Amino acid sequence: MRSEKIILHIDFNSFFASVEQQANPFLRGKAIAVAGKGKEAIDVHSIEKKGARVRVDNLPYMRSVITTASREAKAQGIKTAMATWEARRILPSLLIIPGDPRKYSEITSRMMTILRSYADAVEQFSADEAFADITCASGGDYLGATLLGERIRADIKRECGAYCTASIGISNNRLLSKLASESFKPNGFTVVPPEDALAFTASRPLQDFCGIGPRIVKRLESLGVTSIETLRSFPLSRLTHEFKSYGQFLFDAAHGRGSDLVSDDVRDPKSVGHSYTFPSNLLSHAEVRKNLLFLADRVASRMRKHGFASTHLTAYVRYEDFSGTGATKKFKEPICDGLEILENALKLLSPTIEVDRGIRLLGVTASGLTKLQGSFPLLHKESQTRKALRSLDKITARYGSGTWQRASTLSTEFKERVSGWHYDHEA
Amino acid sequence: MHEFLNDPVDVAVDFSGLKVRPQKVRWGNQTYDIQKTNLVHGAREGTKRIFYFSVSDNANFMKLRLDTETLEWRLVEVYAV
Ligand SMILES: [Mg+2]
Repeated sequence: MRSEKIILHIDFNSFFASVEQQANPFLRGKAIAVAGKGKEAIDVHSIEKKGARVRVDNLPYMRSVITTASREAKAQGIKTAMATWEARRILPSLLIIPGDPRKYSEITSRMMTILRSYADAVEQFSADEAFADITCASGGDYLGATLLGERIRADIKRECGAYCTASIGISNNRLLSKLASESFKPNGFTVVPPEDALAFTASRPLQDFCGIGPRIVKRLESLGVTSIETLRSFPLSRLTHEFKSYGQFLFDAAHGRGSDLVSDDVRDPKSVGHSYTFPSNLLSHAEVRKNLLFLADRVASRMRKHGFASTHLTAYVRYEDFSGTGATKKFKEPICDGLEILENALKLLSPTIEVDRGIRLLGVTASGLTKLQGSFPLLHKESQTRKALRSLDKITARYGSGTWQRASTLSTEFKERVSGWHYDHEA
Repeated sequence: MHEFLNDPVDVAVDFSGLKVRPQKVRWGNQTYDIQKTNLVHGAREGTKRIFYFSVSDNANFMKLRLDTETLEWRLVEVYAV
């Protein structure tokens, strides 16, 4: 018996673009790009609501950013996060499609359902990626794991459509399984048993490792580390001197070691959290506040929907280089109001946040959930707030989220998810 | 031509098992024979359940929206070659 785990990583190829090509056969084989958020982004859902007519084939889209390019567009040099004007300059025939979050989240949830039907534990990693612990499900060996992976792939093809292909990687930890799935696109299937880990990692460039961003690559290069092999022979003490605790991560990664923990969020109802990866980095405190408030309101309303208030709050930030900070606070009185969550999240982050480093991700998690008491708070102001929240929650339950918005976030138009938001239109 | 809209349409459907598959769409004065249903996806708007059908014939893609509360069909996206 092996004591080691077997971890599967699955990642849809050119996700949003593939889903669009699955839905609309006239987009297949063409260079298309799904437009991201931005001033000019089209919110498909709000057009429906307003009953407006919008022709999208000759919109300029000058200031928007590309969320996903189809494989055909990638082959012609179009990249994720590229400014639309730049993409148009490279490829004038590029078809730009407004994002349709409902379509993408349906495919994501089909993938999650398939994984859950087989795996011991499943963790969604982004809109188009997940980790699954298949140690028991595979019978504990790589033959079983390979057969299981093939079955998952066949299910995805049947349930999501032949155009929504995914790459799968299987190994003994998260780092390696993700590296494996990313080593072959599209429609790849790469199995790396532990005995191949050293050879496999040595064959991959530094920037392909999850957690080694372009800035880290630059810093490593300045130390003379240009490949996994040179990183492997670099003394750990110098790495930790240079990168603090992150040095240990780098050292382990070079040896193909990493976490094998897949935390199954479905089986963990003890917390409610939202995080968001921004299409372009935030660089001001005002932007941080605005986006945190939006996250805080989402967390608060989901909590209240399930009748909870929380006693613990965690706020965290991740920078461009994937480093980050976060802090947790405990409350005597449970909280469930978005504004209160915001104020506390700001207090938690303010001692350490470095806005000018470029913020890539913000997250807020409420834990220590306790049943929301119906009793009225003593203070008049609080009881007013509680009443207002109750009415707003009723509106959300009946008509869906996005029906109301705080005045302080009005200057930012929040659109339905194009990338990053989880569960946010499930109201 | 690629357009987002919200026009009422009449849709004839076929039930294969429990699956609803649009067969004909009448939009304005024109009737379209649907050849393929490429994707069906759902969404919730509060207590309402909405279904979207991404369908096509030889020259047109259409996205249809079915409101299960009012049983009303809408054409919400068209792409014509
Ligand atoms: Mg992907």
